[in-house]
Amino acid sequence: MIRRPAVPPETRVPAVALTVVLIAFFCTPLMSGRALTAFDVYNTFQGLAQIGLLTLGLGLTMIAGEFDLSVAGTYVLGGMLAVRTGQSSAILGIVLAVGAGAAIGAGQGGLIARLGIPSLPVTLATYIALLGLTSAMSGGLSVTYANTGATLWMDQHVAGVFSPPSLITLAGFVIAAVVFAGTRLGREVRAIGGDRRASRVAGVRVERGLVGLFTASGSLAALSGALFSYSYAAANPNPGLQPLILATVGCLVGGVSLAGGRGLPAGLLAGALAVALLRQVDAITAIPDYYTELLYAALLGVIVAVDAPGLRRGYDRLRARAATVRTPDRRP
Amino acid sequence: MTAADNDRGPAMAAARDLPGRQDGAGTGTGPPAPAPAAAGGRLPGLRGVDPLDVGIVIVVLAVIVTGMLTTRFFSLANARAILASTATVGITAIGATVVMIAGSAVSLAVSQTATVVAMIFLATQQFGLAAAITLGLLSGVAMTAIQGAVIGFWTANPIVLTIAAGFAIGGVATWISGGTTVNPQVAAFNGLNGTPLGLPLAVYVLLAVTAAAQWFLRRTTAGRYMYLIGENPRAARAAGLPVGRVTVIAWAIFGACIALAGVFLAAFNTSANANLGGTLSLDAIAAVLAGGTAIGGGRGSAVRTLGGALLISAISDLLLLRGFSTGIQLLVKGLLVAFVVIAVHVRSTRGRR
Amino acid sequence: MSDVTGDRARPQVRAEGLSRGFGGVPAVREVSFTVGAGEIHGLCGHNGAGKSTVVKMLSGQLAPDSGRIVIGGKPVQLGSRQAAQRLGVALVDQELSVVPELSVLDNLLLGGVSTPLLNRRRAATARCRQVLADMGLDRIRPQQPLAELSIGERQLVEVARALSQNARLVILDEPTATLSDVETGHVFAAIRRVAARGCSVIFVSHRLSEVLELCDTVTVLRDGRRIATTAASELTVSDLIVQMLGEAPHRLTAARAPDPRPAHSLRIEGLHVPGRLTDFSLTAQAGRVYALAGQLGSGASDVLRALAGLHPQATGLVRLRDRAVPFRDPVGAAAAGIAFVSSDRKSEGLFLDKPIAANLLATRLPRLGRAGLLSSRREQQAARSLAELVGIADHRLREPAAALSGGNQQRVFVGRSLGRDDVYALLLDEPTRGVDIGGRAAIHRLLRAAADAGLIVLFASTELEELLELGDVIITMREARMVARYEGGADGAVLMRDMTQGKRAA
Repeated sequence: MIRRPAVPPETRVPAVALTVVLIAFFCTPLMSGRALTAFDVYNTFQGLAQIGLLTLGLGLTMIAGEFDLSVAGTYVLGGMLAVRTGQSSAILGIVLAVGAGAAIGAGQGGLIARLGIPSLPVTLATYIALLGLTSAMSGGLSVTYANTGATLWMDQHVAGVFSPPSLITLAGFVIAAVVFAGTRLGREVRAIGGDRRASRVAGVRVERGLVGLFTASGSLAALSGALFSYSYAAANPNPGLQPLILATVGCLVGGVSLAGGRGLPAGLLAGALAVALLRQVDAITAIPDYYTELLYAALLGVIVAVDAPGLRRGYDRLRARAATVRTPDRRP
Repeated sequence: MTAADNDRGPAMAAARDLPGRQDGAGTGTGPPAPAPAAAGGRLPGLRGVDPLDVGIVIVVLAVIVTGMLTTRFFSLANARAILASTATVGITAIGATVVMIAGSAVSLAVSQTATVVAMIFLATQQFGLAAAITLGLLSGVAMTAIQGAVIGFWTANPIVLTIAAGFAIGGVATWISGGTTVNPQVAAFNGLNGTPLGLPLAVYVLLAVTAAAQWFLRRTTAGRYMYLIGENPRAARAAGLPVGRVTVIAWAIFGACIALAGVFLAAFNTSANANLGGTLSLDAIAAVLAGGTAIGGGRGSAVRTLGGALLISAISDLLLLRGFSTGIQLLVKGLLVAFVVIAVHVRSTRGRR
Repeated sequence: MSDVTGDRARPQVRAEGLSRGFGGVPAVREVSFTVGAGEIHGLCGHNGAGKSTVVKMLSGQLAPDSGRIVIGGKPVQLGSRQAAQRLGVALVDQELSVVPELSVLDNLLLGGVSTPLLNRRRAATARCRQVLADMGLDRIRPQQPLAELSIGERQLVEVARALSQNARLVILDEPTATLSDVETGHVFAAIRRVAARGCSVIFVSHRLSEVLELCDTVTVLRDGRRIATTAASELTVSDLIVQMLGEAPHRLTAARAPDPRPAHSLRIEGLHVPGRLTDFSLTAQAGRVYALAGQLGSGASDVLRALAGLHPQATGLVRLRDRAVPFRDPVGAAAAGIAFVSSDRKSEGLFLDKPIAANLLATRLPRLGRAGLLSSRREQQAARSLAELVGIADHRLREPAAALSGGNQQRVFVGRSLGRDDVYALLLDEPTRGVDIGGRAAIHRLLRAAADAGLIVLFASTELEELLELGDVIITMREARMVARYEGGADGAVLMRDMTQGKRAA
């Protein structure tokens, strides 16, 4: 049978990617001519706070073999809802945003699990609808968040390099990692993504798991959007696909496969951190954007190749052909 | 309102076409007979009322009734506006239909490809319109067909691959253009902004592309293979069908459609920058899905996508006329797509097992 | 029935008059049997006898139409796998049901009702080591990804999972089909340990000598009915074969005269698929039907899959009509004139949503027009003549293939490869799986006619009657190798022995 290398891709891919990006990060003084400061690290974590929880939510559904495009919509809605309802009480805004995200996720998850619909078209439709809903809530315009107290609190430096949003993001990853490693849920999520039929035979409650995951991804996306809006003191009704694409890159770089069954919260954190670091490297060195884009393309290209069964078949074919040529009459 | 009857023509005909085509075209490769004579008769095994039929009829009726109550909805000018707003998204969506039928789900690199084609088109204006169009088409086909080859021969995941391709295409384009807006010295493209018989040229191209794609899917070997491969790629592989080659053809067609859309976008905007493609990727997918083409592949048709695109435009237009914001338009579009996706799925799984 | 084992008289699991049909066709009829505490109960039967359906009902995957299941003296409703597990029913499914993406430890814990919400890693790891050692898998670490294990080792992990769940009833459906003798020995030892603790075991297998070696009692099913329940000590393999097959199986009819022209033959030399098939050679001549007889995991179907291009890692030499076949690629194999009919009609065969006509024509589209353009006239003609050939009414051609019965679907599947002048070899894996008697005869006629028309027909089957009826030459296979070759003079008992025990016992 196929012998896989000792380190599984879910660890290898994020480890390699994060190492490469870290080296790049520490080399930035060579290009910018100024030493790295704690503020650079702070900014990196701010970048992580922007896409981290989105990556986590998206990644969790991807591990279970689904693709939840709607997180981009929930993210936007969460931001808008938090700003609209949290002018006086920031906490209330966050609670409402997360509640809405959870409800949207649970509804979608129920639909997808019960009817067995592929998640991509359903979540795409939800994304469009949520974008519309958000835009309708704000009249299509950015809404400023007047609660300067909350914004200042969000932007404060904690221990030099952290801020409350980045700490909350890290906490999200820690909780997910603990749940994954410490309870049977992590095992079941990966089993659902790996082989749904086998999971059912083994006794896993697949439908319940899917609903839970979509609820989690919806809540995380809404929370992420709310934190982002607070710290920028504004909610933008249409930030485009950029957050979603970056979160997807974070997941893939984090060792998750779109085919499902593979990935860990720690890997997702590494993936999101790699994306955040790369943005910071960009900002420090002021290199043109297209370097980053081409780097992303190359990274994803490698990931595509690692995951392509047809490529593996072609490789097997070549090896078998070579073996036949060596021993033309009888194979060994 | 004198022209009301005329105007109902294109938009409504296409929309009405949706339920009518369910029986013949909806089941896939189409019957071997030249015309689906059996259309109208129900498929055995699918008893009862089709939720999609009922739903689409209700939606179309709602549009018509609301349209009658809305000033200027049934007017020649408004019909033109609906058609014109459908053109570029529609052309792209026809291409997206072909790859979705062939089982490759979606591409997330559409916007970037269209942008690059637009830039190439505008940057080569001095060689004449024909040369610029040809270069634009060739570059679009090449960029997209390469992705098709990786997907077809290596069974790469289309979503990951097209995200990667989007970065690569966008990155190379910025690299070469230096991130500036392309402003052509010569404006050979003006011919493309013509409005023969009062309709933008792009609308005629959309109709021609739809007809050509419909014919291709039904009447050529490659087109038929696409339905088979899309429905069951494992069976197609086991039967020795040329999965890789056909996938490349599907993506090449998609590339040509994206390129056409890019050319028209360029001509319309007279300049091209990195954001020209906008939300084309998702708009195209939404139109395909609203037409009832299944994301899993193997089912759907170009005509249905045209219907889906027109339905979306008509509803958006109606909401606009009634004073609803773009937000509400998007919301309704999302709900429409969700409804069609669910109905199509329920219909295709009902009656089996 | 339970009186055959005195100390195991305490009944723990009882099937009472279980019946279940599919689409009006009964698969299991009024089946009753009892398994005592600590008893190992064998369930035998030919293909289609209803074993799997009984297993599915007992494990909560399928509800019986009538009859009831009694566990520990109480009638129970097993609505789902979870419900069955809560009542103490563990299962090793016929299909490998472990998740390669998880570690060995995670697979052992997956889905168990006794698995706590919070992981107790140290205790679980220690227990996992113990369980693995019991299975002879000492060399495997609990944290190792399952993907690194061979198919046989993965099967052992699944068996270990079921046996370690402290269940009241463990059902093992063909657990040893992919295992070596040593691995089977470990499985048997583990099963005996579990039974000794008072757990009831139902063991389903095609390997009759194994059944007799392991089980206390054997129930034989035929055509969905229970034929006999006998103490294993009173049975021989021959007795079991008679119970399974009914009347003495008929002898192989006279073989057809082969077409000796080498230009019309399929030559296979040293065909090898890593882990599945070892050194297979055969020269098949046009005009004859060659049958590969072998159970799951015997390599019989791998011969066909390798020839059809579905095993890219296959090595060896294949020549068809004196031309080399690029047999590692399905497109190349098809172009060389090989047509393949998979055993998995649903996922690897038909395009179920597509009209019957489209299915019949799927592989011959390029010949129905010119330059890639289809001619509707020729399409219609071809569809009609094929429909007539396979016996499907003209007016049904536009119905989706899913609307047909299993037998008719299979006719369409086979018909897809018939009547083509560019196909020289027809390979069929289980050509009549899930097909009713009438459909079966029709398909056999089609294949015979195809051979008479000059095709090389090679099929793999597990069904004795089919092998004997259709095969001019029968090649028995077991554990990835050829066992023997028969041209006339074989009978069912001999084939069964070859397939289940190998040559030495023959």
